[in-house]
Amino acid sequence: MSEKIFNIDDLQNINVEGEKYIILQIGPSHPGSGHMRIKVWLDGDIIVKVDPDIGFVHRTSEWLSERREWIKAIPIVERIMLPDTVHANLAYVLAVEKLLGIEPPPRAQYLRSLVAEINRITSHLYGIGIFGIFLGSSTVYMWAFGDREPFIDLMEMLTGARITTSYIIPGGVRWDIPNGFKERAETVLQYMERRLKDYEDIWVKNPVVQARTINVGVLKKEDAISLGVVGPNLRASGVYYDTRKHQPYAAYPNLDFEVPTMKNGDAYDRLLIRVEEIKQSIRMIRQILKDLPEGKIIADQIYNQLNPVMKKNYEEKKRVMFPAFMIHMRPPPGEATAKVEAGRGEIFFYIKSTGDKYPYRFRWVTPSFRNLPFFTHVAVGHRLADLPTIYGSIDYFPPEADR
Amino acid sequence: MNFIPIPLIIWLIEDLLYLIIFPGLVTILVLVIIIIWLERKIAAKVQMRFGPLWVSKKIGGALQSLADLLRYSFQEAIIPEKADKLAFILAPGLMFAFATIALIFIPVGPYYSALFPSYYTILFSVALIIITPIFAIIVGWASDNKFSFIGALREGFLLISYEVPFLLSVVSMIVIFRTYNYISAVQSQLNFLPGIILNPLAALTMLIVMIRTTGRFPFDITEADSELVLGLFTEYSALFFGVGMATPYVELYNFSLIFSLLFLGGWWPLNVNVMNPLYGLFLPGLVVVIKAFIVMAILVFLRAVYPRYRLDQAVRSGWSYVLLLSVLSVILSIVEVKFLR
Repeated sequence: MSEKIFNIDDLQNINVEGEKYIILQIGPSHPGSGHMRIKVWLDGDIIVKVDPDIGFVHRTSEWLSERREWIKAIPIVERIMLPDTVHANLAYVLAVEKLLGIEPPPRAQYLRSLVAEINRITSHLYGIGIFGIFLGSSTVYMWAFGDREPFIDLMEMLTGARITTSYIIPGGVRWDIPNGFKERAETVLQYMERRLKDYEDIWVKNPVVQARTINVGVLKKEDAISLGVVGPNLRASGVYYDTRKHQPYAAYPNLDFEVPTMKNGDAYDRLLIRVEEIKQSIRMIRQILKDLPEGKIIADQIYNQLNPVMKKNYEEKKRVMFPAFMIHMRPPPGEATAKVEAGRGEIFFYIKSTGDKYPYRFRWVTPSFRNLPFFTHVAVGHRLADLPTIYGSIDYFPPEADR
Repeated sequence: MNFIPIPLIIWLIEDLLYLIIFPGLVTILVLVIIIIWLERKIAAKVQMRFGPLWVSKKIGGALQSLADLLRYSFQEAIIPEKADKLAFILAPGLMFAFATIALIFIPVGPYYSALFPSYYTILFSVALIIITPIFAIIVGWASDNKFSFIGALREGFLLISYEVPFLLSVVSMIVIFRTYNYISAVQSQLNFLPGIILNPLAALTMLIVMIRTTGRFPFDITEADSELVLGLFTEYSALFFGVGMATPYVELYNFSLIFSLLFLGGWWPLNVNVMNPLYGLFLPGLVVVIKAFIVMAILVFLRAVYPRYRLDQAVRSGWSYVLLLSVLSVILSIVEVKFLR
């Protein structure tokens, strides 16, 4: 563990020119960088300055969405946040629903929470796996990615697609729960609970992991708030903030769950909090499957637009086909915002409509982008080998940050 | 044809057999291929996947490493423009050569050893093993790459930190057996107890040093891929890379042979007194190599369990816990020699 020897103010003034420092270009083609470049100034083994250079996978999602019909933005935002598609989908749809003035029925709300929580587990497992390979443990990497599969299969059973589900549409969801889903989900949840014990044995309580992560990359509570860090990383620093509790959406007002927080805000706490959140998600999925209300899965406004064939299809297969309204949707002029607690933190959506076929302004901020200050602020003063630890622990996903 | 000294011919044939067939180059090649396959298969078993599968599917992908070696042989060797070309080309080969040459001084049987039956085999083999990492540093320096250079610096730090414990653990066994010779050391174990029971501290130190020197997890620090791409061998390709990749396994083989000779009783339970070609020459060697193979298999299994330590943690533990352990092992040996015998 290395004490922080520089603070953020020194960082601005430090002269990094000259031959004293080794400048390392980690990325964009490097096993430990992801789709970004991290420029690191090293004084011996100590990091003096870190400059994350993002934008290598910028995909103009806002530009594309402003030039398409409203409904077509859903696949675009999903493809930006690949491990966490449902939340991007949900956040966008919540904003559009505010513009349209549609309120989805309770069953649809519960199904949205269900698929969001399944997705949160896969997202956290993805983060734990990447953290594992960054610390050199291929076992945890393989385990986490393997254990995502049962949950992805659940998503496929429910939505028809593994990753990019496009499940949530304005007014409700596209599919009702299939036969045998509850039993299958219970099996998967029990499997995951067993596996979490294995993760604890080989990863969380591993002495090497504890030596590598405890007191590494400490983000204090005040710093976390002032830097605008979101999500599990914020809660690991001891801040009790979760959009699901503070500005609830979908079925979260009716669900009984806790928001785990940690004290130290180091890399180990950021690992622990993801494990704890998986446990909470398992708890929530059980509640949702138990309390799932009866009724329609689509709002009446949309249901009334369905033609007789579509209605027959809905009654028989419990599947919502897109009425013509969806593609010709013209929300009334106005602005709407939406917030959703995604796996990596809070997604914020701002949409402006002028009553046109396309959104006038489409703006969203993803959690990874808001977690970017970690690199410049936290890594300074640590050793080079701590950079992957910090990177892995914040669960940073460059395509999500670049949008 | 009386002028040809028959014993000399037998001696020469035996040497060639030793160096080239068993336990020399061919055995090393086969064992390295098997151990890489085993490492990947064990890790795959732990990690819920198949491991090597497609090359030679009937025997579980065992020839995958051989296929990789062939691929390295026919790959284009890229030498960077700014590299120190002579060092870049020579260093991996010399590294491999010195790792292999150490085998000359490691006998695998009472009557079966290469060159001459020297009295100081333990010292010679240890000296040759310690030379090998120096070429690793040259490899890192020659490529003119920052990541390789940092890898070389790390190798240097670790080399210095773990050399003293290694030497002390060997010294404690020399004290206990009162000999510089592997054959006498094994004979005294056959008469009394194996070294691992006589001095478990030295055995533990030796194991830690083995893990460190051969770059097994959790000391996979010089080629930490999430920081240094591939560490020393970042710029290497083709056969140079293949040789560089195989060298740690050769070192592992040498270390495991030394470990089984010094701590696991060598060719115990065989107590050989007759000079029979089969019974006297090869069977003891087979026992030693099998023991060494088991040690190797245990060490490569660590990959599935541990992530890697940081450089400063490894250096610190090298100068504190491991050094303390090795000093204690020397003291233990002296106490045993004074009071027990």
